[in-house]
Amino acid sequence: MAEPTEPVDIAAMSFEEALVELEQIVRRLEGGQVKLDEAILSYERGAQLKQHCEKKLNEAQQRVDRIVIGPDGVVSAEPAKLD
Amino acid sequence: MTTLLYTHSSCLDHDPGSHHPEAPARLRAVLAALSGPQYARLERREAPEAALDDVLRVHSRHHVEHVLGIVPKAGHVAIDADTVLSPASGTAALHAAGAVAAAVDAVVAKEADNAFCAVRPPGHHAEPNRAMGFCLFNNAAIGALRAREVHGFERVAVVDFDVHHGNGTQAAFEADDNLFYASTHQYPLYPGTGAASETGVGNIVNVPLRPMSGSGPFRVAMTGRVLPALDAFRPDLLLISAGFDAHRSDPLAQLMLEEADYTWITERLIEIAFRHAEGRLVSTLEGGYDLAALGASVAAHVRVLMSV
Repeated sequence: MAEPTEPVDIAAMSFEEALVELEQIVRRLEGGQVKLDEAILSYERGAQLKQHCEKKLNEAQQRVDRIVIGPDGVVSAEPAKLD
Repeated sequence: MTTLLYTHSSCLDHDPGSHHPEAPARLRAVLAALSGPQYARLERREAPEAALDDVLRVHSRHHVEHVLGIVPKAGHVAIDADTVLSPASGTAALHAAGAVAAAVDAVVAKEADNAFCAVRPPGHHAEPNRAMGFCLFNNAAIGALRAREVHGFERVAVVDFDVHHGNGTQAAFEADDNLFYASTHQYPLYPGTGAASETGVGNIVNVPLRPMSGSGPFRVAMTGRVLPALDAFRPDLLLISAGFDAHRSDPLAQLMLEEADYTWITERLIEIAFRHAEGRLVSTLEGGYDLAALGASVAAHVRVLMSV
């Protein structure tokens, strides 16, 4: 995937898109290839991307309900515990 | 071949009163939903009145005489708080039962692949000796017992996905191991029966579902409990008590199903009908009280019946 030339609106990104850009930022920062002011901007964007990924994961978790059968045979759905 | 659609004008005339959810508008919504061009292939038939002998296989003579005897000349008569008769109710109830009986005959005679009975009053709460829950005669049970008696089928099954438990069908079937009744329903909810522990002589399968449980638990209940038991029962004929009040828009319950769930369960039931009963399947309308959801759900159900 090509590096975006200008920052894409994070709120509109899918989980996968945000993760790909976050990994690119991490690689650049770890490689020491960026100037300090760029590094600070990259860090801030990386934090926003991480927050967005966590939000997406949280939403997904809420959709993955566990189906349980109670002792009385009643079937119901309860939120899965994805620890 | 084709899918038959049985209905009768008297089923539109049965009127339990304004503000009653089981209103004539329900059937109008169903028939409107089945009037589009993709339903032109449905073969529409007028439902005959059930013969007294057919009704008496399920109900006591006392019950039949009581129900038909209290039909008012004008106005309304209430059997209980929910179950109200108008002048057309007796005729409508006989045509509703007659629709299922005639549909069974036609499907057995291979005049069609399967049939849907667009009728009211519904039937699955009607017990052998008791009218209740908007139901006067148990249409599905009357069809099932006719299939055994007249057509000589050994094993007949009713699967009921109405959001309420079909206490009447269970009461009619529970002592006879050549009849099978399975129901998914919201629990607790009217009529209060349908606990998983109610198993008849091993021929009753009840899977209660908690309010708000939605598609996942419904499909697990079907694939985990109802369908394997039905498969093991090997029905010669399959009837469906098709209520659509488990839909998320329904005002009387909160089971949160969608049209796609009705498509899915209809496909699964057709598969089993073909595995054991040469595809013989008759479906009859029970509940469903949000008019738009009812129309869309019946349309989805019948579309699958027509795809055979």
